[in-house]
Amino acid sequence: MNDVIVAILRSGTPLIYVTMAGVVAQRAGIWNLGLEGLMIIGACATIVGIVLTGSFALAMLIAIVLCVLASVLLWFVIEKLRANPIIAGLGLTGLGLGGTSLAVQAIFGSQAAVTAPFGVPRLGPAFGPFGVLSVFVLAMPLVVFAMWVLLRRTRFGLRLAASGEHPFAARSVGANPSRMRLLALIIGGVLCAIGGAELAAGSLQIYAQNMTAGRGFMAFAAVIFGAAHPIGSAFAALFFSVVAAVGIRAQLLFGDAVPHDLLLALPYMATVFGVWLSGKLRGGHKAATGFAELRDY
Amino acid sequence: MTGKFVSVLRGLIFIVVALALCGVIFQFAGYSALGMFRSVIEGAFFRPGAWEQSLRWALPLFITAAGVGISFRAGYFNIGAQGQFYLGAISAAFVAEWLNGAPAFVVIPACFAAGMTGGALWALWPGLLRLQSGTDEVITTLMGNFLAGLLLVYVTAGPLKDPSGSGQQASSRPLAASYRISDSLGLSPTIIVIAALVAVAMWLLVNRTAFGVLASLAGRNPTMVQWQGATVWRLGLSSFLISGALAGLAGTIEFMGPNGRLAGGFLPTHGFTAILIALVANLSVVGTAFVSLFFGGLASAALYLPIMAGLPSSAIEIINAAIALFITAKSGFVDRLLAFGRRSA
Repeated sequence: MNDVIVAILRSGTPLIYVTMAGVVAQRAGIWNLGLEGLMIIGACATIVGIVLTGSFALAMLIAIVLCVLASVLLWFVIEKLRANPIIAGLGLTGLGLGGTSLAVQAIFGSQAAVTAPFGVPRLGPAFGPFGVLSVFVLAMPLVVFAMWVLLRRTRFGLRLAASGEHPFAARSVGANPSRMRLLALIIGGVLCAIGGAELAAGSLQIYAQNMTAGRGFMAFAAVIFGAAHPIGSAFAALFFSVVAAVGIRAQLLFGDAVPHDLLLALPYMATVFGVWLSGKLRGGHKAATGFAELRDY
Repeated sequence: MTGKFVSVLRGLIFIVVALALCGVIFQFAGYSALGMFRSVIEGAFFRPGAWEQSLRWALPLFITAAGVGISFRAGYFNIGAQGQFYLGAISAAFVAEWLNGAPAFVVIPACFAAGMTGGALWALWPGLLRLQSGTDEVITTLMGNFLAGLLLVYVTAGPLKDPSGSGQQASSRPLAASYRISDSLGLSPTIIVIAALVAVAMWLLVNRTAFGVLASLAGRNPTMVQWQGATVWRLGLSSFLISGALAGLAGTIEFMGPNGRLAGGFLPTHGFTAILIALVANLSVVGTAFVSLFFGGLASAALYLPIMAGLPSSAIEIINAAIALFITAKSGFVDRLLAFGRRSA
């Protein structure tokens, strides 16, 4: 049983960090489809940083700086140039996936996977069977709780939500919606860097091309499923990881009886189901995507 | 007239901005940005046979993008062209396998029908979910892309596996030569005629039918269209089906033409590029045809770059992504410039 919990925490933690990034952006009124790109930048920068600097703290700092820079770029394009957030987010994702491939090629001369000598610090033997988990796993519930406090119990969180839902109201109390969104995306950049670092260096210490494999989009789906509530969305992300873990379990148990690719498809199917359910529960209401404005400038 | 001019100018300006961003990234990665762009342009248009290659990529991209444009016009953010493209190729491959041995004039139309149906069905479920229960189609179509990719891996390693193939990459049995609609270069009169037919049909549909006009209006203001007496969900579902069918058609062409077989990971960013094309072209059919040529050139250059020493093909991915980042931008700068011009005139 313990190893199942360890597996779920391992696969769920990166997803939950990135989901929190999506939650902050969503509350501020930005559909952040760049999460996938930010996550791969975080993953790549951490591993490459460890290899080049030999220090985990420095590598983490590099990852955070790069993810925040990419987030600021996204903010600039969406807010200042009034680009469509969905297309711009997909563009950022493409930049992240292509840019990390290019960076690895430029630094190591080939696009093969990069292995780091060490990863995120572990909890250690004091935690028994959970000692193999990284410290980010231990911090995860605290971060989710902190996000809940920040978004639901502080002046900042309320102003953020106002900026997302009714920018006019936010402006009337002196909050600058544009600046609130910038702050939301910067917080999101830091969280994505941690999520990417946990993915690449949490248990395996390896970076491979496109290793996020749609997790950023799954995190975005978790935001929708959880109605952009930090705790609800975290549970939605956890649900996707449980489904993935069940898939891997089933593969070990049934061997060749069930097609391998069908089991790999389970998290994506769960995502579709989750988004369908959340749409159903909210009576078919759909948040504005800003897409109508694309046609009417 | 001025409006059109402004939007073209705006598009061009932001493509230049995107290319400048790419230049900065390439310089940082230790490549010469100018050298990179020179080899991209050379690979797309100036090396021997480059135009044929560019056109070979442009035609399926155009067909897919024309479909994406229809669903975008109707206000639905169908970003699942990639999955619909895969499903088209997979359905066509199944039919080709079942009808193996039948005369070509039976097999080829059957494959096309199957491919378009397969693509349309892969667009149908996100469409139904969206219209029935408000499920966000951005996520469902996106997840559909991943599912279709896994399905492609599954069928090429399972039901459609070529037993004589090498262990390197699973693929289906090669299509018999008499069923192929082009050689492996990928350009043939058949494909050109199909693309031309699609172009004419889509132009007529968008500009000369009630469906096209109402769907475009529905994308801007569904309430108004409803008051006009049109059934919004029927317009929406049709737009999903048309875009899926066209992506499936492009997949079928790719399978029966240049590839001649299904392989595990073919054409990774085709659907995404099609979305860009539709947006750069401002969703107009004629514009889509021209913009497809540009992006077809980029796709052709992507294959040429690795041959040039040390230039990774991910460079094209980066260029595409940077264009995506900026292409929907609506800078007030261009508008102010033009307003200033009018005032002083």
